[in-house]
Amino acid sequence: MLDTFAYKAPQSKELLLDMLATGDSEVKLLSGGTDLLVNIRNGVYHPKVVVDLKKIPGFDAITWDKRAGLTIGPSVTINAILTDVKVQQHFPLLCACAKDLASYQIRNRATVVGNIVNASPCSDMAPALLCLDATIIIESRQGKREIPIAEFFTGVKRTVLRQDEVVTSIHIPSDKAGVQGVYRKLKRIQGHDLGIVGVAIANFGNGARIAVSSSAPTPVVTPLLPLDLSVPKVLQAVNAIIRPISDVRCSQEYRSFMVGEYTKRLWKEVIS
Amino acid sequence: MRIRVTVNNTIYERDIEENRTLLRFLREDLGLTGTKEGCGSGECGACTVFFNGKTVNSCMVLAAEADGSVIETIEGEASGGMLSALQKAFEEHGAVQCGFCTAGMIMSARELIHQHPHPTRAEIQEGLEGNFCRCTGYEQIIEAVLDVTGGYEPKEELSYV
Repeated sequence: MLDTFAYKAPQSKELLLDMLATGDSEVKLLSGGTDLLVNIRNGVYHPKVVVDLKKIPGFDAITWDKRAGLTIGPSVTINAILTDVKVQQHFPLLCACAKDLASYQIRNRATVVGNIVNASPCSDMAPALLCLDATIIIESRQGKREIPIAEFFTGVKRTVLRQDEVVTSIHIPSDKAGVQGVYRKLKRIQGHDLGIVGVAIANFGNGARIAVSSSAPTPVVTPLLPLDLSVPKVLQAVNAIIRPISDVRCSQEYRSFMVGEYTKRLWKEVIS
Repeated sequence: MRIRVTVNNTIYERDIEENRTLLRFLREDLGLTGTKEGCGSGECGACTVFFNGKTVNSCMVLAAEADGSVIETIEGEASGGMLSALQKAFEEHGAVQCGFCTAGMIMSARELIHQHPHPTRAEIQEGLEGNFCRCTGYEQIIEAVLDVTGGYEPKEELSYV
């Protein structure tokens, strides 16, 4: 049974920003609900008000423009990304990460923005968005700010978002279109599961970046690495950004080892 | 709040508590208990239903969100007292044992067949990965889906049985 709360579904962004303006910490935003409702059920959150974003026109839009790049609205689901022809064509790494996120039914509900805002270290969408230099667009009654995704996460389940703010879109610049990439996620079972480690690699032609999930307090990414870098140097660059811990899913040693292993395999597969 | 929902082609109007999940609404308010609650947190898929034409875990949807929507559940699968082809295939292949996962499994299988009319074994495994079955070991379920989509090759009987 869920705690008692009121359900609100504002019909416009203006109404939404008004609802958030008080900065009340007992207001929670609902998009796909695949994290929020489980967290309420488990007693992690006790909201007084749940605000549904999905009734706001335009929030489910994926827009692509050769100059402006790709914009993903806050209620765009993972399956919407996977079935969008423009995303498939221009951002294969985004699709690679989306494909590995949870199960089919969950992908029908879970959103890209939710996966980022939830700020789990094992976020599956973050590795792609980190490699592709996504910008998080945040709005409130105080105005609008744009934060590079690398600065968005501040810790385990923590972000720069204030209580009166909402992420109104994620933007990927057009110069990242066509970047090829692969995502590999280690799980306990072949079916849907949270990652033990996840490694994404993006080849920009003039260099490559590697992003890692489940191996630090936040998902992390390397700087641009030269394509002729030796494998030991690549591993060094990856080891410099991760801070793995032991937890219920595996030990620190295993996690470290598998990040290295996946990095080696992907570097061979995609770069050399 | 008052919601109006179409479930298996019947329109229902009900007053609901705003914290009620779609799953509880279907089971307790409408009495449609074919849809099961397994884990209640999106792991097992026993509560899978169609929500505006897409499969979802109904334990992670609020009934309030479903206002104005179209829901399909296992109760709408058979028609006129006749099992659907998918249900028949499940029955014939022994894909139902305790039956707890079956309602959700049939919903996901229907969606899978809609996406892939002639699915490969790998596509079936991926399409059903969100539905746990603790009895069959999945093989009978995969065979049932293959059978109903024309991809089933019967195995030879073991001679010594």
